Amino acid sequence: MESITLIRIIKTSWTNFWRNILLSTAATLVMATTLTILTVTFLIYSLTNVTAHSIQQKVDVSAYMKSQVSETQILAVKDEISNIPNVEEVQYISAAQALQNFKQKHAQDQLIQESLSELDSNPLPATLDIKAKNLSDYPAIAQALSDPKYQQYIASVNFEDNRPVIEKLSKILRITREAGIALAIVFGLIAVLVIFNTIRLTIYNRKEEVEIMKLVGATNWYIRWPFIIESVFYGITASVITLLLMIPVFQYALPKVGGYLGISGSAQSILPFGIGLLFVWQLAIALILGIFSSLFAIRKYLKV
Amino acid sequence: MIRFENVTKIYGNKKALDRVNLEINHGEFISLVGQSGAGKSTLLKLIFGEEKLDGGRILIDDVDIATISEGDIPFLRRKIGVVFQDMRLLQRKTAFENVAFAMEVAGYMREKIEKDVPRILEIVGILDQMHSFPHEMSGGEKQRVAIARALAHKPILLLADEPTGNLDEINGYEILDLLQKINNLGTTVILATHARDLVNKIRKRVVTMEKGKIVLEQEKGRYQLVPDSI
Repeated sequence: MESITLIRIIKTSWTNFWRNILLSTAATLVMATTLTILTVTFLIYSLTNVTAHSIQQKVDVSAYMKSQVSETQILAVKDEISNIPNVEEVQYISAAQALQNFKQKHAQDQLIQESLSELDSNPLPATLDIKAKNLSDYPAIAQALSDPKYQQYIASVNFEDNRPVIEKLSKILRITREAGIALAIVFGLIAVLVIFNTIRLTIYNRKEEVEIMKLVGATNWYIRWPFIIESVFYGITASVITLLLMIPVFQYALPKVGGYLGISGSAQSILPFGIGLLFVWQLAIALILGIFSSLFAIRKYLKV
Repeated sequence: MIRFENVTKIYGNKKALDRVNLEINHGEFISLVGQSGAGKSTLLKLIFGEEKLDGGRILIDDVDIATISEGDIPFLRRKIGVVFQDMRLLQRKTAFENVAFAMEVAGYMREKIEKDVPRILEIVGILDQMHSFPHEMSGGEKQRVAIARALAHKPILLLADEPTGNLDEINGYEILDLLQKINNLGTTVILATHARDLVNKIRKRVVTMEKGKIVLEQEKGRYQLVPDSI
């Protein structure tokens, strides 16, 4: 008996899907649109995060060492700085390396090249480039570097020069990130409401049928299953449509935007997980919302 | 079979049923008469659980229906066939599908449904309309489909709420004949109606209701106005 019921339920769902093809199509499209908006919001958020991270990678503070400090001492200081909280990385650039970098950077500038060749000693100090985990960590790190124990080694730290830029950037990134989260929440809520309402409409359309089923002795689950399975049809179709809509976004839009922002626009670099998993997430959201909405919307008509 | 003990049902502050006592036996044909609002429909609705009572109790084969859980109500309903005044046919289903639907709900096998539905439609006399939709049928034909649906799962009790309410006289009599035929096959029938001529023709038990109370009970009765309630 159980398997007859199962087959019958799936058949009923399928028939309902096709008999109400206009409403089914509308419901599926609404779901696909909502999913697309959610996905795009998520992509924008990821894009912001990746961009923020890449900008952060370009920021560091440099500690210029005094000229008489030996390399062994510098390496000892480097280790010590690495242990300051929130320091991501410390890179040692020797005086010779610094000079070479400088020469390379200004290779086209005749005047600088000539001036440098006039000198018999290296005017550039050895440097420690320090990267923080977050932009907002720089003031604390600069503070730590001003500790008296470093005074005999460090000539100067360029943090104060960069301070206004770092603080402004830090603020912009924070606001962008918060706005992204707020946007995602708002669109998420809209998605829930729209999908709920759409499913409710499809059920309202058949409320008479539900009531009559109840009166001739259908159990609640016998009535619920076809609606749940219909929602599953909507969810799967909508997720596939959304994924198809995302193909041009991944193929053309993202690389373009990525290039503009100075980051790689490939799906791998922007998504925290693969496209496959993105589809799984879309499907999961569509199914959960659809099933939950069906169960909630049908409740009213089962009270006969 | 069914026993009402001091059954009371209240809608808002109006007593739809006021301490009703009634016993219905297996195989009986009972006509429940009275004007609109006398409580006939409410009585029927209580039997198959569309409404819940506010006082007293109803025993069906010695089971108090108040003790039947929400989840078991469907199984009670599968023992009862109901013919509604407004028929409640599904407009998008054919006569066959409307009847088959009730059997599907009750979990019958496809082969059994294919075999039984035409037979039931033949009993109610609309086999030729098997593939018609409700909007293609007359009132009397639709009512026959509704009766066929009520019979599909072989109920032991058939409740008919004003089944002739929207029909002309001839169709009314035909429906009544049909109900009697069903009763002769062993199904208990409760007919709620205010059609006096019909009831007078049956000459079976008549229960007269007035303002939520039973005011008169007659074996082989007639629908008559009760002197002290006029």
